[in-house]
Amino acid sequence: MAAPYAVYLLVISAYPIVFALVLVFLRWDLVTAPSFAGFDNLRMLANDGRFWRAVANTFVFLSIHVPLQIVTALGLALALNRKLAGRGFWRAAFFLPVVISGAVVAILWSNLYATDVGLINKLLVKIGIAPVSWLTDPNTAMPAIAVMVTWKNVGFYVIIYLAGLQYIPRSCQEAIEIEGASAWQRFRYLTLPSLLPQTILVVTLSTINGFQLFIEPYVMTGGGPLRRTYSVVLYLYTNAFAYQKMGYAATIGVALALIIGAVVFIQRRVIGKAEAL
Amino acid sequence: MPSVTFDHVRKSFGDAVVVEDFDLTVADGELLVLVGGSGSGKSTILRMVAGLEEVTSGTIRIDATDVTQLPPRARDVAMVFQDYGLYPHMSVRENLSLGLRIRKIAATEIDRRVTWAAGMLGLAPLLDRKPKQLSGGQRQRVAMGRAMVREPKVFLFDEPLSNLDAGLRAQMRIEIGGLQRRLKTTTIYVTHDQVEAMTLGDRIVVLADGRIQQIGRPIDLYRAPVNRFVAGFIGTPPMNFVEGGLREENGQLSFIAAGVSIKLRRDNAAKAKNGEPLTLGIRPEDLRLDTSPDRAAGAAPDGDALPGRVVLVERLGGTSHVHFDVEGGGSRLMASVSNDQLPDVGDTIRVRVPPERVHLFGSDGKTISNST
Amino acid sequence: MLRRIGLYAGLALAALTFIYPFLWMASSTFKPREEFGSLALIPAHFTLDNYRTMWARAPFGRALLNSTMVATTITLAVLVFGSITAYAMARLTFRGRPVLNAATLAVLLVPGQLTLIPLYTLIVQLGWIDTYTALIVPYLFNATAILMLRQFFLQIPQSLIDAARMDGMSEMRILFTIFWPLSKPVLSIVAIFTFMGSWNEVLWPLLVVRDQQLMTLPQLLTVFALGGGAGSVGVSLASAMVLVIPVVVAYAFLQRNFIESMAGAGIKG
Repeated sequence: MAAPYAVYLLVISAYPIVFALVLVFLRWDLVTAPSFAGFDNLRMLANDGRFWRAVANTFVFLSIHVPLQIVTALGLALALNRKLAGRGFWRAAFFLPVVISGAVVAILWSNLYATDVGLINKLLVKIGIAPVSWLTDPNTAMPAIAVMVTWKNVGFYVIIYLAGLQYIPRSCQEAIEIEGASAWQRFRYLTLPSLLPQTILVVTLSTINGFQLFIEPYVMTGGGPLRRTYSVVLYLYTNAFAYQKMGYAATIGVALALIIGAVVFIQRRVIGKAEAL
Repeated sequence: MPSVTFDHVRKSFGDAVVVEDFDLTVADGELLVLVGGSGSGKSTILRMVAGLEEVTSGTIRIDATDVTQLPPRARDVAMVFQDYGLYPHMSVRENLSLGLRIRKIAATEIDRRVTWAAGMLGLAPLLDRKPKQLSGGQRQRVAMGRAMVREPKVFLFDEPLSNLDAGLRAQMRIEIGGLQRRLKTTTIYVTHDQVEAMTLGDRIVVLADGRIQQIGRPIDLYRAPVNRFVAGFIGTPPMNFVEGGLREENGQLSFIAAGVSIKLRRDNAAKAKNGEPLTLGIRPEDLRLDTSPDRAAGAAPDGDALPGRVVLVERLGGTSHVHFDVEGGGSRLMASVSNDQLPDVGDTIRVRVPPERVHLFGSDGKTISNST
Repeated sequence: MLRRIGLYAGLALAALTFIYPFLWMASSTFKPREEFGSLALIPAHFTLDNYRTMWARAPFGRALLNSTMVATTITLAVLVFGSITAYAMARLTFRGRPVLNAATLAVLLVPGQLTLIPLYTLIVQLGWIDTYTALIVPYLFNATAILMLRQFFLQIPQSLIDAARMDGMSEMRILFTIFWPLSKPVLSIVAIFTFMGSWNEVLWPLLVVRDQQLMTLPQLLTVFALGGGAGSVGVSLASAMVLVIPVVVAYAFLQRNFIESMAGAGIKG
């Protein structure tokens, strides 16, 4: 009864993983026969400025997205974690962008960020601030995308934090109040440490999400300006679809998987150490 | 100087009144027990002292300071919770010291207090463990230690032993009592277990439906309950009750119920009227088994002895409980007797009801007379 | 009291930042070109031109059909095949069960980008480019769904299965007549996140489908908006609306199910 699944796993999961590793050593444009490339792809990758630019871009993205995500999601969760009128409504409002397609969100925000007719600049001008060329200025493009992605996903992480907040025993909350803690001290000594597992989850998931960025730069900036929003997956896609370099694209894919694995591993270690303090 | 004063404290949630006119002064250094069933309001009262529940009307004063509107952290009280409320991510040492660290007490002083409390409670080897590595009894002690290091004006205990097994509970009862006597801190202790109340309390407040039923020393509640509720609540095993009425015949007052007639003393029954419905209460330990072998079964009930048929004998070691049905009547009563000459199930027995040990309650539940 | 008002005000402001962009987007689609960019939510000159243009310029109706068909097929497949697999993994014993378990977990750890290119080459070699098959087959089984279903199936009492087996029921029968009715909550959770995942998927269709007639809605929308076919922002936003409206409507009625489903799947995955 489980046989079809086993077959599926083999064909759709196992075989591609293995073949990906094989492709690393091949040169192939899908039209002519594949040819052996030795370590060429790996050498190219190591020296490929565009690839490392994409990796650097991702770190720029993450350095803004992850902290922002934690702060906003946690803040909203704390605000929602009390007896509120219409709590279901608030929750639904924040979660709405999560269910909307990334392509739609990207198109929407392209328009919001538009330098001349975009909503954001119009509002800024109204309150007396000069308009910013969000998506055409190399320094603001990736941060702008980071803010947008944070906006899109925050509802999801609010739910995660809300669930975590439920688990803090009421007697602990009452005890720390009786012990004399101010609101900030309650947060620092009880709430935040209790939410460590959730925070780890937020960091891990949003990091993985950040490395998998595709539709946003694809739609909003095409990877520019000056390749500053070029993401790794976008580069992979371009190599496969536009340049027809299957071997190289597969190499990028493998490298990405390894980088993600390494980053997540390091993150967990660092946070684990921080917990021990 | 009195330590905690409740001045006509009342608590309601919307239309539902949960605590009705609680008026009481707890003496400095006293261990006052609030006891009652669930819904009696006892926990609510405790939480109002802590500041975890708002007072609807009335005031609470701690040492002459009106704390009614103050938040918990301004009241200088410490509380031990039923599920202990230990911070799961902190070690025992950190749990004990957090309250002091928050109040910016000097590190040396914190150390001194933690060491002192840990010593008193036997926690010294556990200081670096986390709560999940501790047993229930150990967690209980950490919770108490946390309260102790604060050196607060009042200790508040909210059913601290309910989550422990019976043996541990008995042991912890003794420890808590001993601790409180040494520290001499005013303590308010909430429990549903009347054994805890009787053994720990300097005074006990019996609560039902948000109202005080009786306040007094344990022995006073036992000997002179003011109403049927207190009489039935205090004392293990609980008091026997029989419904019936009063009869006067030839100058002799008797309590009459189906199948029973019990002689009463005149001063006991003075306040009752002829024919008025009464409840008679007699504690199992006050009933005596009449062991003279020559009383024949079927003989007419003597004035103060009941004929009965044994349905169950619970042998408990030192004493035993004999459950019997009163012949000709509907009541099932229990006598606590020592172990010599225990009857068997099915035996016919005669049970003497000493008139001076009888409690009488009116139809309104209030006591008419108690045993002398 | 004042703090309460402040809290609600803050929440309202925050909620507004999440809803307003969509409202603005919706209202922009009803504005003529000259009016576009105005901050007003109600268009001064209400028009359906943007929608007419969009519909005429690219096969959005067809794309809607494609997306619906693909998403529905995948969801049904995941539910049915997933249940069968989860049932086998939870209640049947067979050689290699632990291996299958481990493999399912492992699959979740591997980022999709690793297998993307090899799968693509496989599709090309099988001649499945520009076919519905290419859009559907790779998604027939979903590891997250299988794990969730398996978790749930583990909790159903063995006595139900034993009684059914003694009555002579086949395993498939047991699964669909006994387990399924009991599993409604899990099944609806799986259905929602599978459907939504498929509905919003863009990268894979962009790789394997070139023919506009076969494109899924988010794909066509992307191509349309980027390729300049829209001509004006109002038109490209109108095309986005086609993708969004069914989701928002469903969400308005089922938001609790959506939240439960997508949050739950995300945490497990």
